[in-house]
Amino acid sequence: MQVVNLTRQENIVRLHFERADKPVNVLDEGCIAEIEAHLEALEAEPPKTLVLESGNAGCFIAGADLDIIEAVTDAEDAAKLAERGQSLCRRIEVLPSISIALVNGACMGGGLELALACDYIVAVDDQSTRLALPEIKIGIHPGFGGCIRLPKRVGWMQAVEMILTGRSVDAKRARRIGLAALSPKPEQLDAAIAYLSKKGKVTTRKFNPWWLKLWPARVLFFQQVEKKTYARLKHIDVESAYPAIPAVIALFKEIIGMSDGLALAREAESLGRMAVTPTCKNLIRIFHLGDALKKQDAAKRGRDAVRGFHKTAVYGAGVMGGGIAWVASKTMDVDLHEVAAEPLARGMKGIGRLATRRGRTDSSRLGRIRPVLDTSGLNESDVVIEAVLEDMKIKRKLWVEVGKHVSKDALLLSNTSSLSISDMQHRRANAGRIAGLHFFNPAPKMPLVEVIAGEKTSSETLDKTCALAASWGKYPIVVADRPGFLINRCLMPYMSAALKLLESGQKPVHIDGALKHFGMPMGAVELADRVGLDICHHVGAQLSEAFAHQQAMPEWFDRMVADGLLGEKSGKGFFIYDKGKQGELNPELGKYLPHAVTKEKEFDADLSASKADAMPAADIVDACLLPMLTEALQCLRDGVVEDPQHLDAAFVYGIGFPPFRGGLLRYFASYRSEDLTQKIEAFGLASPENMEVLHAFR
Amino acid sequence: MAKRVRKQQNRTDVAIVAGIRTPLGKASGLFDQLGAVDLGVLAVREVLARSPVARDDIDQVIIGNVIQPSDAPNVARVIALTAGIPRPVPAHTVHRNCASGMQALTDAASSIQLGRADVVLAGGVESMTHAPLLFHDRFRAAMAKLPRAKTLQQKLPVLMELAKAPWKPRIALIEGLNDPTVGMGMGQTAEVLAREFSISRREQDEFSVQSHQRAAESWDAGWFDDEVMHVFAPPSFADAHRDEGIRAGQSVEALAKLRPVFDKPLGTVTAGNSSQITDGAAMLILASREKAEAEGWPVMGYLHDWAYAGCDPERMGLGPVFATRRLLASSGLGMADLARVEINEAFAVQVLACLKAMDSDTFASDKLGLGKAMGVPNMDALNVHGGAVAFGHPVGMTGARLVLTLLRQLRDDTGGGVAVGTLCIGGGQGGAVLVGSEPCKS
Repeated sequence: MQVVNLTRQENIVRLHFERADKPVNVLDEGCIAEIEAHLEALEAEPPKTLVLESGNAGCFIAGADLDIIEAVTDAEDAAKLAERGQSLCRRIEVLPSISIALVNGACMGGGLELALACDYIVAVDDQSTRLALPEIKIGIHPGFGGCIRLPKRVGWMQAVEMILTGRSVDAKRARRIGLAALSPKPEQLDAAIAYLSKKGKVTTRKFNPWWLKLWPARVLFFQQVEKKTYARLKHIDVESAYPAIPAVIALFKEIIGMSDGLALAREAESLGRMAVTPTCKNLIRIFHLGDALKKQDAAKRGRDAVRGFHKTAVYGAGVMGGGIAWVASKTMDVDLHEVAAEPLARGMKGIGRLATRRGRTDSSRLGRIRPVLDTSGLNESDVVIEAVLEDMKIKRKLWVEVGKHVSKDALLLSNTSSLSISDMQHRRANAGRIAGLHFFNPAPKMPLVEVIAGEKTSSETLDKTCALAASWGKYPIVVADRPGFLINRCLMPYMSAALKLLESGQKPVHIDGALKHFGMPMGAVELADRVGLDICHHVGAQLSEAFAHQQAMPEWFDRMVADGLLGEKSGKGFFIYDKGKQGELNPELGKYLPHAVTKEKEFDADLSASKADAMPAADIVDACLLPMLTEALQCLRDGVVEDPQHLDAAFVYGIGFPPFRGGLLRYFASYRSEDLTQKIEAFGLASPENMEVLHAFR
Repeated sequence: MAKRVRKQQNRTDVAIVAGIRTPLGKASGLFDQLGAVDLGVLAVREVLARSPVARDDIDQVIIGNVIQPSDAPNVARVIALTAGIPRPVPAHTVHRNCASGMQALTDAASSIQLGRADVVLAGGVESMTHAPLLFHDRFRAAMAKLPRAKTLQQKLPVLMELAKAPWKPRIALIEGLNDPTVGMGMGQTAEVLAREFSISRREQDEFSVQSHQRAAESWDAGWFDDEVMHVFAPPSFADAHRDEGIRAGQSVEALAKLRPVFDKPLGTVTAGNSSQITDGAAMLILASREKAEAEGWPVMGYLHDWAYAGCDPERMGLGPVFATRRLLASSGLGMADLARVEINEAFAVQVLACLKAMDSDTFASDKLGLGKAMGVPNMDALNVHGGAVAFGHPVGMTGARLVLTLLRQLRDDTGGGVAVGTLCIGGGQGGAVLVGSEPCKS
């Protein structure tokens, strides 16, 4: 199949990328070979102007083929792949022609590196135009000369930021930072080519900023870069978790001021090492899984219907309701309903905080959210999402009330975490349109949503719900209407295990530290505090009632809840909280857990003994995660989720299971099965009968 | 049986199907961070959500606004698009100073009567908080020369000019409340009325206290709950519902302590007996009676007729007398026929002067060409729920507020009838509208 075509007209030659089989252009083996062949022709007879363009709408070149990177296992092979790409770019760069990349749509990774090899980038002013070097997100760094050419184009400050965060820029911003020479409208492209052809070939680019040439400034600059980058990753071992980050910083330090040839060789060598790390493979896998969730068949089927939606009504302005309202305001007008002004004001204030990023408020999006104290606006709502109190009576009443006002085809979605959707539908006229749409806290941040079909939910409703979630940038996972659905059901044994560790005398800080070191976004104890101990208690009680194998909450935990230690929301739980910030261990904890609180002075003399009591971090992680694993396998057996791959993605996108470890099942699949069974039994858990599921993940 | 108006020249009845206003916030108070566009958008979204009228039903948008924001040219269009009114629907802004909100409604009614539109979204919006600070004209002139000066030699004298130009900002709010044709501020025109109609400071203060009391009592009784929407304004996002300027505990003694503002030290008009500088928006949906009935929309009342009249700019506060006189004459009604009257309280003294003028035989014969006094409204029917001294007077919005509150008074208080809302207009004009609970008699 011909992907790259060469067309000549007068003194302009166009290298036209277009593929019929996929909506996006990628630099795969075939494509690269074709470019190489065309380059030979171009080198033999260089035109005055060379234009690189794409025929696929909304995509210039989306980057190198991920499958190649996923498949490569040898560092030298990987470095060779990079060198091949580099030489391709280099050949374009040294052509005597004036080369122009017409970027219209996504221009990512290898695509942008190819564009950077051209003299000029023209970023067409269109919403779909995004330029980025997002390699860091899949555990590698740019390898086709991006680390060398981007700093020359936009200066070191911008370049380091763009490569380390993988963030994309739009056409306007690309022009402002100097990445694009022009950002014309699509009708002005010919004029843009003519204008740039006249400007001639770019021979030298200024080193920017000049003061980075000074050694002390350079040292300071990289110190700041490191400080800022590692601040987000302070609990994990970056070298093993995300090796590409220190590698790319080291690369920058080395190649700044180096000649191009040497720098390119260093880049290729470093990329080769990164491409074979398990982190890279795991991150690519997770990326594919997220994509699969977003583009699952259900979401595709409902997409057209959702496109016609204009308004969402959200009931309940709590943290969850407010977060959902903010998510929905991404594409639709939102009515935020509440029974009283005071909680509504609190909810709006929370949304106001979400709308403000780096001191700037997105007031147009904020303006799309209308706080409401009556039933107004329901008649024009296409979707109603409730996030009110977890009480079946209240929710059933709400659906009756809402049903009186909404149109006959509005979706009625419940953000319940513990109630049965089928029960909610019982004897409701609009049962077919009721489904569950369960967000995770904080809703704007967590990409996963559980979509729950009750007995009477129509398949159309389910499709629309999945498509709706996907349109808001969320990853929907369809789960069965069983207690706790998927995530909460598996989280409970994890938290119970942490409570048991506490009981046995492990320090809360130690447990959380071990889990954070493993890569969890927060420890199990803090998680309990953040979720709210009362809610944990409620869910725990419910799950232990529903499933014989799940244990009831310990008696001391009951007492904590009864005494009003509810976690973050009451300011005190296991830890003390001040305006959402975690502080010291709660001194009152001694009342419930005499072992957990160190009486520092008394133990001073016996420091070694107290150290010996501390469990090794790896054991703590196993003790907490193995119950989660067995529960997850049980969920698969019970048919809560059909596809084990979906389940694996759910843990990453729903609770923040460390993506560099590839997902819960993938992580444990790296153990030998006998060892794993032994471990599970050592922790007193029943060995799951469907352990063979893990084979698919090895 | 409620009073009904006789139909004139086969005009279409103009029905008002929905209306809402924001609470009124004191200058740099509640709505410190919301501009005219934001307030307008809030009210437009709310009125649409609360009525069965869909966005697509609207044929036109007309919004009155006095201090037009420089970053939102044709503020009506900016508001309409931001609030999600479909793009093919045209929008324009109207300006008749203090009657801009009223002008929007009467223009809308005119369009409907002429058959040029079936449904019009109309109202008024004002953010007096965001009245700009301006540079002196000499500063502007120097700035204009700057880009034309290329060399340093040319630039130096321009920079000198710039340095010498007055840097003190001009306050648009104060300049806007000044009538350039007679060189008087609005407060000074009020002082003229106080002297000519010999209205004492105490009378003015008593009237003001009554306004506050009526407003506070009506709010306490929940009378305003449907008229006013809740606004959750940044940065605190606290619930704002009650008008911010109302002082329930206001006493004549406290008001007596204030110093006159416009004629120091002998004047009688103070900050306490004038309307307050405020921000707010009011939006109504008007439709032809046929359209409203065909769609089954609820009707709040009808906008029957209106009149604008000019008068002496130095006595602009008497505008309501002239406008009301003209309106009543054309519709064949007398003061006694009106179930309710709202005379906007730009200044307490200005309302009192209007009442005296209406009651005076000499004024009638000298100025109105009448044999005897035109008559005063029933005092129990005048500004029953308080007025601008208590709420405030966001200039471009008040006209729309008067119509909205009168329709609700006719519906909820008097069991129907007809009512007049009138206000004085800076520059020497008066505006008056006649509304009723029933369509015209044919």
